[in-house]
Amino acid sequence: MTAPSEAAELIRCTGLSRTYGSGSVPAVREASCTLRAGMQVALTGPSGSGKSTLLHLMAGLDTPTSGTIAWPGLDGSPFARPGVVGLVFQGPSLLPPLDVTENIALPLLLAGYAETQARERAGAALHQVGLDELAARLPEELSGGQAQRVAVARALAARPNVILADEPTGQLDSAHAAQVAELLLTAVAQFGAALVLATHDLTLADRLPVRWEMAGGILVTEGSYQC
Amino acid sequence: MIWLRGLLGRRGGRLAAAGLGITFAVALLAALGSFLGASKATMTQRAIGQVAVDWQVEAQPGADPAAVQSALRSGSPVTAALPVGFAATQGLTATHAATTLSTGSGMVLGLPPGYQATFPGELRHLTGSAEGVLIAQQTAANLQASVGDMISIARNGLPPAQVRVDGVVDLPQADSLFQKVGVIAAAQPQAPPDNVLLLPAAQWHQFFDPLASRRPDLVKTQIHARLSHNLPADPAAAFTAVTEAAGHAEARLAGAGLVGDNLGAALGAAREDALYAQILFLFLGLPGAVLAGVLTVMIANSAGPRRRREQALLRARGATARQLLRLAAVEALVVGFGGAVAGLALAAGIGEAAFGSASFGASGGTAAGWAVGATATGLVIAAAAVLVPAWRDQRAITVADARRVLGRPHRVWWMRYGVDLWLLLGSAVMFYVTSRNGYQLVLVPEGLPTLSVSYWAFAGPALFWAGAALLSWRLTDLLLSRGRRVLARLSRPLAGSLSGTVAASLSRQRRILTRTVTLLALAIVFAASTAIFNSTYRQQARVDALLTNGADVTVTESSGALATPALAQTIARVPGVSSVEPVQHRFAYVGADLQDLYGIRPATVTDATRLQDAYFTGGTARQLISALTRNPDAILVSAETVRDFQLSPGDLLRLRLQDGRTGQLVMVPFHYAGIVKEFPTAPRDSFFVANASYVAARTGNPSVGEFLVNTDGTAPPVVAARLRGALGPGVRISDLTTSRQVIASTLTAVDLSGLTRVELSFALALAVSATALLLTLGFVERRRTFALARVLGANPRQLGGFVWSEVLVTGAVGTLLGAVAGWILSQMLVKVLSGVFDPPPEHLSVPWAYLGVVAGLAALGLVIAAVTTIRAARRPPLTVLREL
Repeated sequence: MTAPSEAAELIRCTGLSRTYGSGSVPAVREASCTLRAGMQVALTGPSGSGKSTLLHLMAGLDTPTSGTIAWPGLDGSPFARPGVVGLVFQGPSLLPPLDVTENIALPLLLAGYAETQARERAGAALHQVGLDELAARLPEELSGGQAQRVAVARALAARPNVILADEPTGQLDSAHAAQVAELLLTAVAQFGAALVLATHDLTLADRLPVRWEMAGGILVTEGSYQC
Repeated sequence: MIWLRGLLGRRGGRLAAAGLGITFAVALLAALGSFLGASKATMTQRAIGQVAVDWQVEAQPGADPAAVQSALRSGSPVTAALPVGFAATQGLTATHAATTLSTGSGMVLGLPPGYQATFPGELRHLTGSAEGVLIAQQTAANLQASVGDMISIARNGLPPAQVRVDGVVDLPQADSLFQKVGVIAAAQPQAPPDNVLLLPAAQWHQFFDPLASRRPDLVKTQIHARLSHNLPADPAAAFTAVTEAAGHAEARLAGAGLVGDNLGAALGAAREDALYAQILFLFLGLPGAVLAGVLTVMIANSAGPRRRREQALLRARGATARQLLRLAAVEALVVGFGGAVAGLALAAGIGEAAFGSASFGASGGTAAGWAVGATATGLVIAAAAVLVPAWRDQRAITVADARRVLGRPHRVWWMRYGVDLWLLLGSAVMFYVTSRNGYQLVLVPEGLPTLSVSYWAFAGPALFWAGAALLSWRLTDLLLSRGRRVLARLSRPLAGSLSGTVAASLSRQRRILTRTVTLLALAIVFAASTAIFNSTYRQQARVDALLTNGADVTVTESSGALATPALAQTIARVPGVSSVEPVQHRFAYVGADLQDLYGIRPATVTDATRLQDAYFTGGTARQLISALTRNPDAILVSAETVRDFQLSPGDLLRLRLQDGRTGQLVMVPFHYAGIVKEFPTAPRDSFFVANASYVAARTGNPSVGEFLVNTDGTAPPVVAARLRGALGPGVRISDLTTSRQVIASTLTAVDLSGLTRVELSFALALAVSATALLLTLGFVERRRTFALARVLGANPRQLGGFVWSEVLVTGAVGTLLGAVAGWILSQMLVKVLSGVFDPPPEHLSVPWAYLGVVAGLAALGLVIAAVTTIRAARRPPLTVLREL
């Protein structure tokens, strides 16, 4: 087994800061951390502490105000490169005009997969989350828990190296939250993807070996891995 | 107020878009309504202006003309009354050197002093003095007479009277001047007398008072009256006022005089034209206003899902139905009033720019009335677009349902029952029923002074509009719901491997797309039908002028003159002339009936003048004219002649024509080949058309009656003036431009194109709005979807696949459906409105340039909507998601 410190770097953040407004609202301040292959990180902190902003920066969806971010293990920013990073959001993120299968297959199609292959993998991912019977449903016909499980399936379908999940269980009841969390952790363990999971749920956070804690935009680390 | 501030701040664009739809509707209604009001007033004024003598009151045998004149003067609305003598003469004679020319019977008029000043339109001075002994232009041609020549006037039972010509005049109102006062139209003379002299009253009395005492049947006096022209603006009201005044005048005269009501007749035609203008407004203008209203509703509906979510949020937080409706009412009022004000301003601007008057020339009251009506319509549309859906949703939809974005499109009830097909069937039935009364829209019941409109005629096109709209909806829905494979194939060049997903997306959004496609199709139908109708109308106006004048310029020999075909070469040498076609004009007896006979060169006449199939029965124009070549003794006759003589094709018909060698009538055999109803320059009466070579050979007379002259592009009046200079006074020369002015009805006088100019502009704006506006708004509502796709890794090119595919489907399907329905409706409109055309068109005239502009601008609108959306999608997706 590769020692954690020897695992390949996937994402490296150095002194990242992100402010909004005319610099008056610092969401992230001087955050430095490294995500390595296979790492499973729980990103905790109170609301407004900068967890989502940090995840967005790591996903390449946002640009830091200062500091640097590199993706040595991903061959560059994952933005506009579908399937490189799997994203799971807190709120509804399925595309309304596409059914469940099409939603799951979309990142694969965007990445250049042939339609048949994309549908096959989408079906497999849907099976993995136990929702085969919902394949033809529209997003507005799903419950919150079902929709989030589909979002997880979409994130997993391309077998990405990194999964960034921003409060994936935040809007779910405890039973569904446990379901979704279990799915994520099982799938990540299965194909060895790195995971950063932002959550309020300390019980869930405890299941992950690494803890990054944020407070007031500042990142404090904990756990067996050094950041 | 908070809600209103939020609406204006966050949804200002959408409010403006909805207001734009109302602006169109209000502007169109206000503009057309004001134009209609102004047109009616113009029609009345034009009708008044066309009449030289308002009343011609004929003193009855035994009545004292002076008493009749006095009685007329004393009653309103007569402002001037002068006596005019009419005396019949057996003929006029002029002697030049050793040649004596004589005419047949004619009329000699006695004009009192001041007549021309009082009735300036009755005589048109040509040469010589404007006073004294005047000779009509045609008579001068017949006698080869000019100023200074002596004319002998035959008087029945008396020695001829001698006069010296002082001037030559034209009688532009000869038909009404020589009418038989007090008889019905069918008993009027076919044509005014060719031979007319006008003498000063004193000289006339000197010559004809003795005749009057011997032969009172040959001499009469009319009192020519001018009325006050302070009449109502509406032609129908003006007609009523004048005819009632004429009735009162006759009652006052108690049988001493009969009133020939020229002004009433002109206003009667104008009121019929005014009704047609109203009909055209309904047929051509109202659909545009309805479309603008539909556009507004659809713009408002495009935000329906978001509005329902907002309503759901408010309801979940305790808002009552009343509060929700109040908020919707605020939005409706803002949109309605804003749109109405902008619409009225737009209408005023169009009026000022296109017609030089913000009210389009209508009176203040008329314009204000239409403005109020249009504003009320705008408010109704706003209520229908905003308030009614809000009321319906809060009653019928749960909070959960209101949060749905798309929903599963379900089959609407009218599709289940085939309402669209029933409407189209109904349209066909009504169209057929209307055709059975010859598409008579304006009904003139026998003996009744009122006109009425057959509103049943509206049913066919109205049902077609509704049926075509629903069928477009059905077909688009069918394509989007069942035609995913077709959609995927169509979008493959644009979306590549995403084409399947694109097709699925289009299919799920079919409710929105179907609305956009249907509105685009209807906008194209409106543009196409209006433009084709207008173009066909202008085409027929030219055809009508050609039918009257024959060609660009027509040179008519005086009767009795022997113009040889060689004169054609003289005419051809005149600058501006491109072709000359000689046409014989003879008179032939069939039985006891004398008719005009036109001898033509069948091989070349169709090049010289336009012959429509509608002019003939029993074959096309080409077929029947060719028959005259194949069978030189073939002849085309009127339907009346066929009935009178029980003719069948090929039957022998013997006519008596004058032999050019002996001057005697000779029998010339012909064979009946077909019916001719109309022919260029021919009278509205029975006549013959035959082969000129055959007629010349049989009668020994190759002389030509008229030459049809086409110009090389030089204005016809210019060429006509050159020909007058080259050929002298012995011929009559008329040109197409002058003929159009003379024959123009009051409907054409107000320039129908003025009405359609407004409509065509709106049609263009509607087509562009239906595409650009609706698509853009639809894309705006899907910003979140596009942002999520970007987050998932879609690049702008891949997003473009979705956008351009939607644009392609919308544009292609909408244009195809609109073009087909527009063609059908154009055919229907031209048939139903055939009363406007004179003569009816053989085929439609398609203004490809205008339709190309509409298609081009609509396509440009689509492209702009797509480009704008794709550019907006380049924005950082998180920024978009945060804003939403």
